[in-house]
Amino acid sequence: MCDVQAKLIAWLDRELGSEEATGVERHIEGCKECRGRLATYKQVSETFDVYCDAVAAAKTYRPVPRWMPVLASAVVAAVVMFLAFPRTRIEPPPILTPTITAASVAVPARPEVEPAPRKIHRRRSVSPAEERAAKWHPTETAVQIAIPAEAMFPPGVMPKGMNFIAELSIAPDGSVSQVRLRQ
Amino acid sequence: MSDDSLPLALPLLRLAGGSSEVTTLYRELRKPLLRYLVCLGLTSDEAQDVVQDAFLGLQRHLAFGGAQENIRGWLFRVAHNQARNRQTSYHRRFSEPLDGEMDFLADDRTPEQRVLEKEKFRRLAAAIRLLTESERECLLLRAGGLRYREIGEVLGIATSTVGDAVERAIKKLAEKCNV
Repeated sequence: MCDVQAKLIAWLDRELGSEEATGVERHIEGCKECRGRLATYKQVSETFDVYCDAVAAAKTYRPVPRWMPVLASAVVAAVVMFLAFPRTRIEPPPILTPTITAASVAVPARPEVEPAPRKIHRRRSVSPAEERAAKWHPTETAVQIAIPAEAMFPPGVMPKGMNFIAELSIAPDGSVSQVRLRQ
Repeated sequence: MSDDSLPLALPLLRLAGGSSEVTTLYRELRKPLLRYLVCLGLTSDEAQDVVQDAFLGLQRHLAFGGAQENIRGWLFRVAHNQARNRQTSYHRRFSEPLDGEMDFLADDRTPEQRVLEKEKFRRLAAAIRLLTESERECLLLRAGGLRYREIGEVLGIATSTVGDAVERAIKKLAEKCNV
């Protein structure tokens, strides 16, 4: 075993001084054994480097779940359909005030007291159009639409063996009142 | 390591008034630092936190007139110390087999080549388990592009000790791996 073998790795890492490095280079040219060892050390260093990359990649690799594209497509389709249907504003139905029924129990007569002057609140006048809108009640029934998955997505997007139907119930005001996916 | 997992260090550095020099260093050294820390046993998130802290520390270091020589060694030393404070299972994590985790290597290699590579990594992992902690750390820092003097500064040991440790480690791996 020649003495230069102890310096091969340092030479490989360029850690030797210029004179020493030159001496090692000359020796390597003429020594087959050292050339072989040098090749092995190089290969080990490279393999270690690749291994470090693989460890780092494996620890930081986060695969996207396979169902994620399908879910994303379904959500996008639902949002698009929700936005596609026009919606009309309707006034909320009038609030019914409870009617007072006559009590069957006799109420003792209250002593007559001079009633305090009541504050009169004037209601804002309602225009005929607003009155008609307030009286209007929807009579139409909700529209139900069933869309199969293959009609929503381009061919090849849906995984084999998986299928579903999106059922949408559209309220008379145009809003989506119910979205249901069924297989 | 994909760029989609970029930490917020770069914008934070800019907010902290980071110089273009620090930004350049960040771009250059982020990946080697992350790789070193993950190989030390930190999780990806922990490693990104440590890198971010190290660069913010560098920004403070330079702002307060700290030494500007060997910034690479300085960053690795800070990251190394933070990692040592955080991780407790370095040996187990770094040398554990990657058999179940190699599916990310979506390249054009044939199945046979992939099997051979897995086998090579398995042997190397087994050989790494035989190294001392110091030898392993020296090799990791060497793989990160540090000179022996810088490695010595990071680990707090003499340059000649680093040379000896690297030599012993490489020879052990060559002997056990048969690469």
